Parts: sequence; structure tokens; C-alpha cells
Amino acid sequence: MSDALALRARAEAEAGALPPLLARADQLAGTVLLGSHGRRRAGMGDDFWQYRPMVAGDTARMVDWRRSARSDERFVREREWQVAQSVLMWVDQAASMRFASSPDLPEKADRARLLALAVAVLLVRGGERVGLTGGELPPRRGEVQLMRLAEAFSREAIEDYGAPEARAMLPQSSAVFLSDFLGDPAPVEAALGKAADRGVRGVMLQVLDPAEEAFPFRGRTIFESVGRSLAHETLKADDLRARYLERLAERKAHLAALCEATGWRYQCHHTDQSAQSALLWLWQGMDGGPE
Amino acid sequence: MTLFGTIGFTAPWLLAALAALPLLWLLLRAVPPAPIRRRFPGVALLLGLADAEQVSDRTPWWLMLLRMLAVAAVIVGLAGPVLNPEEDAAEAGRGPLLILSDGSWGAAGDWSAKEDALEAVLAEAGRAGRTVALARLTTPGAPVFQAADAWRGRLADLAPQPWTPDGEDVEAFLAELGDGEFDTLWLSDGLARESRARLLDALEARGRVRVMQSDAAVLALEPPVFEDGAIALTARRSAGGAPREITIAAHGRDPAGAPRVLARATADFAAGGTTAETALSLPAELRARLTWFEIEGVRGAGAVALPDDSLRRREVALIAGREDREGLELLSPLYYLENALEPTAELLDGALTDILPANPDAIVLADVATLAPAAQESLTEWIEGGGLLLRFAGPRLAASDVSREEEATLMPVRLRAGGRTVGGAMSWGEPKALAPFGEESPFHGLDVPDDVTVTAQVMAQPDPGLSERVIAQLTDGTPLVTRKALGQGQVVLFHVTANAEWSSLPLSGLFVQMLERLAVSSAVAQPEPGDLEGTVWQPQQLLDGFGRLADAGTRPGVPGPELVSAPLGPDLRPGLYAGEDRALARNVVQADTELAPAVWPERIAVEGLDRPQETPLGGAFLLAALALLLADVIASLALSGRLRGGPAGAAAAALLAALVLAPAPGAAQEDADADAFALAATKEVALAHVVTGDPEVDRMARAGLRGLSETLFFRTSVEPAEPFSVDLETDELAFFPLLYWPVTPEQPTPSAEAYTKLNEYLRSGGMILFDTRDADVAGFGASSPNGRKLQSLARPLDIPPLEPVPEDHVLTRTFYLLQDFPGRHARRDVWVEAAPADAERIEGMPFRDLNDNVTPVVIGGNDWAAAWAVNEQGDPLYPVGSGYGGERQRELAYRFGVNLVMHVLTGNYKSDQVHVPALLDRLGQ
Repeated sequence: MSDALALRARAEAEAGALPPLLARADQLAGTVLLGSHGRRRAGMGDDFWQYRPMVAGDTARMVDWRRSARSDERFVREREWQVAQSVLMWVDQAASMRFASSPDLPEKADRARLLALAVAVLLVRGGERVGLTGGELPPRRGEVQLMRLAEAFSREAIEDYGAPEARAMLPQSSAVFLSDFLGDPAPVEAALGKAADRGVRGVMLQVLDPAEEAFPFRGRTIFESVGRSLAHETLKADDLRARYLERLAERKAHLAALCEATGWRYQCHHTDQSAQSALLWLWQGMDGGPE
Repeated sequence: MTLFGTIGFTAPWLLAALAALPLLWLLLRAVPPAPIRRRFPGVALLLGLADAEQVSDRTPWWLMLLRMLAVAAVIVGLAGPVLNPEEDAAEAGRGPLLILSDGSWGAAGDWSAKEDALEAVLAEAGRAGRTVALARLTTPGAPVFQAADAWRGRLADLAPQPWTPDGEDVEAFLAELGDGEFDTLWLSDGLARESRARLLDALEARGRVRVMQSDAAVLALEPPVFEDGAIALTARRSAGGAPREITIAAHGRDPAGAPRVLARATADFAAGGTTAETALSLPAELRARLTWFEIEGVRGAGAVALPDDSLRRREVALIAGREDREGLELLSPLYYLENALEPTAELLDGALTDILPANPDAIVLADVATLAPAAQESLTEWIEGGGLLLRFAGPRLAASDVSREEEATLMPVRLRAGGRTVGGAMSWGEPKALAPFGEESPFHGLDVPDDVTVTAQVMAQPDPGLSERVIAQLTDGTPLVTRKALGQGQVVLFHVTANAEWSSLPLSGLFVQMLERLAVSSAVAQPEPGDLEGTVWQPQQLLDGFGRLADAGTRPGVPGPELVSAPLGPDLRPGLYAGEDRALARNVVQADTELAPAVWPERIAVEGLDRPQETPLGGAFLLAALALLLADVIASLALSGRLRGGPAGAAAAALLAALVLAPAPGAAQEDADADAFALAATKEVALAHVVTGDPEVDRMARAGLRGLSETLFFRTSVEPAEPFSVDLETDELAFFPLLYWPVTPEQPTPSAEAYTKLNEYLRSGGMILFDTRDADVAGFGASSPNGRKLQSLARPLDIPPLEPVPEDHVLTRTFYLLQDFPGRHARRDVWVEAAPADAERIEGMPFRDLNDNVTPVVIGGNDWAAAWAVNEQGDPLYPVGSGYGGERQRELAYRFGVNLVMHVLTGNYKSDQVHVPALLDRLGQ
């Protein structure tokens, strides 16, 4: 019984985290106006698009009799073309994401989840199907999928640096990768290559803490990764700054080049910037805006 | 003790530890600062980066220096450095030593320092094997030379006395001096005296003379004088110098009889000035309890002044038969009495039964015919105990039957019915003048002015004893003032009124003089020696040289003339002396006492008391070490990167330094805020509401007042500024004509100070509009929560009797003609101050001669603020009623608000407008 009780309690605690995350994501998503998503042409769909005169080839079933009765011609009712797109997401849940340099700032993981879920909310509202990479949560539509996504995002991984899961990518779908991309770049390269092979295009958002961008450290310091698997000691931290920043810039350039090559889009986001601008960028990048 | 210049060390061997400093330097230098562990995901990018140089793990040299200095400061501090250590004065003479003290009160100021110096002199003389004699000029006696040690416990023999040595004392001392050779150490009090030169010559003839006297000027306090309603205090000093502020404390007894300081005043000596004056305004009750004044922080009998009866003023209670607020001031029965007595007496006001326990010196009844039996009984008892009852006649007394058939206890004579009127429009004869006063009369000797005439009076029945009781009469022989003794007291009747209705007596100076002669008023001046011939005064309390007041014990009495004029001495000590019916104080310093600094010839060595003081420096060194270590902590943190965030860290360090160095000022800020509030509130008329603590209600009240202000601005000549939210506890209320007070059940009850402020506000013409906002205030037993809260809020307030607004109340017509006062609710009942019982309707019109004051409170429950409330754009915030009827109701609510503000600002002006047609009619239009 105690097991069941403990499970229940943990489940409640876990579930307790979901609604606020969802609510925040909803709120964030609310700031983006839907409207650029419809295909703006006749096709398969639910919404009325236009009446057009009947032409040869249209079957009698397609005639809209109510409209046609008001005139001598016969009209066909066309609906807007709506296709559902599949969007696969990967949000880095590794320990390195659970870092915030100041109590005023959100953790990187927190920001990444929020952005991912907000994008998911927008997509689901637009009628798209959203899922996770790796076959764990195949793309589906509907509000329930949002709950599942929120739950999946709340699971924390124990490894220090995350690697993208590139299995089970649906061909011609879209993808969203959110991570700090500070770990080994090789898995990222592999994943992107695989995606490009299947015609998957997407966006890659690097979420960084301002401290990682500024390296404001001095004096004798032992740097440890969040999971404590890596450590580096220096006697004079301010001496390392220039070289660190150089490496960071290198990493960013590498990622950007990778995206360029595979047709993805890359952007770097800092946790002290507003989540909304990042969401707008994500949304436009997803929607195949101007390349 | 080891000396290095002016600095000595109590533990010099500790300084050897300074040699270990270089070792410490090496040790500290070898140890790098401890590392910080930081979590940092970017470490993946750091891997493989090596440190460029290995030098930086050493502590920087300036930090080392800081630490070295700190350690050095600790070592030096512990070694006990002392600035100006006491040296052995090796300037000793030979032969016997006479230590001569002036022994006057002037030396009391730093007597303990003098004692210390004398101890040192005695010790030195003891070491040198000299014999010593101690002598005091104020108690001259033959000097007895003994071993110095024998005197050590007897320094008190030189203690200051509360008088100064005069020529006779010096002569007496010289007579006893003998011819032996001796050196002299003269302990001077620093005051100039004529006898000094002669004494100095005599002493110099016998040996070397040194003088020891304090550098500080001698301070003295003159006897307090009562002037212009305040106690004038004058302090003097023997020598001018830097400006100085002194505090004079008035000691006395509190109501429980315990001695304490009743008041303080500060006085300033100007630069070079020798007198400082101040005045102390105290209520009579406090003044009567004063026992002595002293300059705070100054010892000595000269710095103490004793007050006597000259500070007391007689207490006179004034009671009039009719006290009507509507009456004209100059016709008030008490107006002339008040003006005549005000400068010389304390006036008491109140009901007779309340006043009698205060035991005034005199009670004046102006045109009071009858008293309640209980009051009469206690009044009689009071008179028999020595009180003076002064009565004035008047229409009421003339019309009553008091003392008609038989003499009343509280009347000196029987009265005839009706009185008489002479020289009026309806009577024969001229107004009567006063006859000169007879020899037995207490008024004998006063000049009778010609222009004092009497037109009406009450007449005495010609009884056998009448002539004895008349102390003033008119030219035709009718009594004007009569008197009889009652027990130990007396009853005096003026047969005319106390105002100018019946005679011009109250207008003349004679009236004041007569009151003085009757001892109703008192003018106690310092008596002349001649006045006190034949009297003996018993000392009650006497001052010693240090200004301490002690019981006189069994000392003999002093003849009066001597008390006033003889110089102070062992037989006439300063203090408080009691005579038959008053007390006299003999003070050390009189207004004519000379205070000048003593001048010594060049050849005499004058030593001050203050040699360079020993100053231990250990504490300062340790403090410096602490400060250095603090700086080291901050520097180390900054160096190791633990003090991150540049400006914030610097600010924290600065704050830390500020905390260590100086306390921050705060009070000035409050004053500035209060001033700004006062300026903002008084620049223009502004309405205000009381902050209830409920944000919703407060916002509504403010919006309501804004709406009302705008309405007033558009419709009337009242142009109010933005309304204020007033916190009863902190804000000044006097600036606002109207306070709107919405009542909520949860609001906190104001503090006692706030209630004092509110009552002050109501008394000085302010108005509070209480709004329970539940349309349920008038029901009997008002049982709504708001109603109960209102009751508890208003209980401590000074609120007069109330009544529902009568239909002819001025509030119904100050701007608009109104019969209802709706707000968001439309209940009729609104309560205002009740009209006086005798208010009448004038000329059959529905106007009454209402009281002059604006009603201090208006109480209702119609939620007016909600009806008035508008937002920033001027649109109503809350719905009122529905449709057109609702808008009409809102309009009426605005009209009520306008009327209310007009009522506050114009008083009963609109009520007086009823007379305008009559006035115009009389003007012939």
C-alpha cells in the first residue's frame, strides 16, 4: 500500500507541475496571432472557402443546392485546403540544462520546455500533429497530446549533456530541437544528417544562460558540470575568458554551418531575453517563412 | 613604563613580536587563496585550456601589506601605548606648605578635579617631607602645620561654602596667620575680590605663592523673576569667551510628590557676552510645584536659584450667571474682570463644584443670584476656611429674592427689592459719582476719578450694622461696595454689575486698583528691609556650597531686615525662609552680585587644573587593526572572485563602511515630507477622505471626492485641487475643510493620538462626513456591522447631540434647495448637530437662528462616494438606480455634496440670507 501511496503522491506532484507549465505555455502562445497558417487556397478542409460556378467534371454531389437555388446557375462550395503537418520535437532534458546563473533567471531547461510547449500549443491550435522524436510519443493532434507533451517535458534526464534522438523521424515532417548544444557536437551532426536524408527540415534553438555567454568569473576556481562528471581547475579564471569565448563562438559557428548545410534554421537564445521573441522566431521558422 | 617621546608603553616587551612580521610575510605569501567550486555547464568548452601563467596564485603585495599592518596594529595595541603619560613633577620647594582655599561656591564647579590635584600635592609634599597646613578663607582659622599624610583624609575641610569670603574674613585670617616662613598654594575660585591684593602681599612676605585655579568661567544663575506670563531666567558667567549654550532645569515635585525635573530651557551666551537670558512659560500648577532652578551640568550654589512666592500668582475663579454663546463679547459679565485680572492672576473657568476642590484664592460670582444648596454649603465652608468671595450685582440678583427678608450667608447685606436707576432716560437725577474712600476702607488712598459714574445699583437695606460693612459709597451715601467677614474669609459685594451696563467703574483704572487692594489680584514684589522690620524668618531649607538643598534642622530664625540686606555668611546661609504668610528665598547670586575673573600679578605662577591628560591609545590601535582586517576580508573576496557584480559589490562594501563609520540621519527626511504634505494640501482647497485600509473602499472614496471636486469646479466658485487620502495616524488634518470617512467593519480603530488630533480638528471647525454605506444608520439600535463600527469609532470623538436634518437646516439651502440627500442609496435619514433647545423660527418662516458653528459631523449611510465616483475621464464608475431616475438620483447626490462643501466653507451665511429682504426694505429700496 505504501508503494501505491508513494506512487500516487509522486504522480500528484508531477502532475502538479503540468498545469502551470501548460498555462504558461498557453499564455505565451496567446501572444502569437494565428492566421498565417491557413493554406489560402481551395482544397480539403472543414472551413468554407468560396463558391464557384459548376464546371464540367464536377459531380452533382458537389453542387451546393442552397446557394444554387438563389440563382439560375449551379454553384459548388469549396473548402479551404488544410493539411495536417507532423512536427517532431526534441528538448534537451540533460543536467546541463538545469542551470541558472542567478536566482532571478529561469533555468535553461525551464525556458526550453516553455518554448517547446508554447510552440506545441500553437501547432495544435493550428490543427497540426505534434510529437517527440524517437518514437516515444508519435505525433498526434488534440489537447490531450499537449498534456502528454507536458508530461514528457517534465522528465529529467540524468546524463550531463544530452544528445538528440533522431530515430523514427517521419519523412517530410518538421522538427524543433531545443538544447544548449554545449556537449559533444557529433550526435547533433549525426541527427541532422539523418533528418536531412529524410527530408525533414526544422529549427534549432540554442538556449544559453547569460553567464555562459559572458564568463564573469575571476580567481582560483574549480568549474564543474551540473552532473559533476566533468571538472576543470584554474588558478586565474579571468585569464580563460577570451579563450572560452573563442571556443563558444566556434561552437555557434559550427552549429550555424551545420544548419545551413541541411536546410535548417539556427538561432541562439539567452534566458535573460524575453521568451516571446524566441517563440516568434520559432513560429516563423517553423512555418516556412522567408528563408 | 617605557617612554618614546610623548608616547609610553605599559607592556613594551610585547613590541618584540614585531620582529616576527617578516616571517609572517613569507608564510602568507606561500599560501595561495582557496579555490571556489562553481557549477558551470560551459566547462565542456573549457577542457584542455591551461593557465597561461603560474604567478597569480601568490597573494598580491598590497594585500600582504594590509595584513601586515593589521597584525602590527594588534601588537602595538596590546603593548598598551599611552599618550602623555603622567610624569613625576619634580618641582618641589622646601619648608612648610600652606594650602589656602577661597572656599567659596565658585570653586565647586570642578571640585573633584581640585581634590585630585590636592591629593597629588599632598603626596608630593609627603615624599619631600614637608609639613602642610590647610585653611579656608570662608571659615578663617589659624593654620596648623602637620605632616602631609595627616591631612590626606581631611581635604573636605577645604570644600566650598555657599558664600564668598569678604574683607572681614580676610582680616580675621591675617590676624591668625603668625610670622613663620612657608610657601603657599592658593586654591582660587577664579572670582575677583578686593581683598585679594592685601592677602597676597601678606602671603608673599612669608614665602613663595603659587595659585591653582580652573580655566573655566564661573557660571551663576540669578533669582527667577516672573515677567509677562513667563519666568525670566538670567545666567551669568565671570568671563566672556566662546559662545556657549547652557540648559537651565526647573526642578520640582510631580503630582505624586516625587522630585523630578519639571521643565528645561536653554540659554545662549553670545561670544564674549557674560549674560544669557531665557524665559520659561509654565502653567500655574507646575509653577506652584517648583522648588529650584539650576544650570545643568554645573555644580555650585551659584548655579542654583530658589524661587519663592514671587513666582506664585493668585488663582481666581470667575463664574457668571448667564453664559450665552450668542451674546456679544463686550456685554459679557466677565469681560472686564477677565481683562483686569489676566495680567496678575491665574483665571479658572468651570462649574463651581469643580473649582472648589482646586482651592482658588478667590471666587468671583458675577450676577449669580442663587446657588444649588450643595454648592452653597461647600462654598460657605471654603470661605470660612479663608476664601474670598467677590460678588457683583446685576439684573438677576436685582430680580431675585436673595437676602431680601433676612441676610443670606453669602451676602454682606440685605437688599431692597428692585434696586434703583438714576440718570437714565426714564428717571430723574444725574448719574452718581463715587465718594472718597474712608480711612477704614481697604481702598483708602486710591484716587477717585471724576468720570466714574453709576447709573443703576442694588440698594442695601438700612440695617444697624450696615455702616460697618460699607467700604465704598456713592456721593449720596448709598453703599457701592460692602463686605463682611465669614469665618476666616470674607464676602464682598459690588452693588453694580461687573460690566459697563450699570456703571462706568469697570472701564476705569480704579477698578483694577480696587481688585488689587482686595487681594483678588496679587503683585508680589521683593520686599524692602523696612517692610520686614520686626519679623523673624525661620530657615526651611538651606543650600550647601555645591548647590544641594537640605533641611535647615534647628537653625535659629533670622530677623527680617537682615535676611534681605545682610551679606551671606555662616549665620545667614542661602536658602528658603518662611515668614507668617509667605516664604522668602535668599539666593547666593543676586542681580547686583559682581562676577569678574580674578586678576593675578605677573610674578605669580597660575596653574590650571587640566594638565595634559593621559590618553591610552591601545583601543584605537585595536580598532584600526579591526578595520584593516575588514578591508582585508573585502579585498580577499574581491580578489578571489567571490565578490561578483561590480557595482552591487562596491555598493555593499560602501554600505558596510558607512555602517561601520557613521549612523545615517533619518529624522530630517520626515520633517521635509511633512512640509511637502502641508504645502500640497494648503496650496488650494482640497477635499480629503480617511484611509480605511480597504483598498477598494479607499479607491472609491478617492474617486468619489474627485467627482465631487470636479462638480464643484464646474458649478461653483469653489475650485478644489485633487483630493487627498489622509492617514489619521501620520497626516495633519487641519488643512482640510471636509473629511469623508467611509466606515468599514474591518478598519482599525485609530490610536489615542489620532483621536486627540480628530477632536482638535472638530473643535477648530472641521467637519467629518461619516458614511456607513449601507443605508441603515438611522434605525434604532443600528445593528448593521458598519453601524456598530461607526459607534465604536465615534465614541471617543467630541460629538455634540445629533438630530436628523430638520427641513429648515442650512444644509438644505446653501447652494441648491434640497429636501433629500441621496447617494447610491436614497434613505432619508442624515444626522447633524442638534439645534440649541431655544432656537426659534424667525418671523414664521422656516428659518431658525441656528448656532453659528458648522455642524462638526454629518452621519449617514447613503454611500455618497459611490454616487460621486468618476474615473479619470470623468465617467461615473458605479451605477446608481436605473435609467433616468438613477441619473436624477446621482444629480441629487452631487447637489448634496455641493451643499455640504458650501456649508463647511460659508457656515450659516445662507441662513442669514433670510434677513436680506428686511435689510433691503430698511435701506429704502
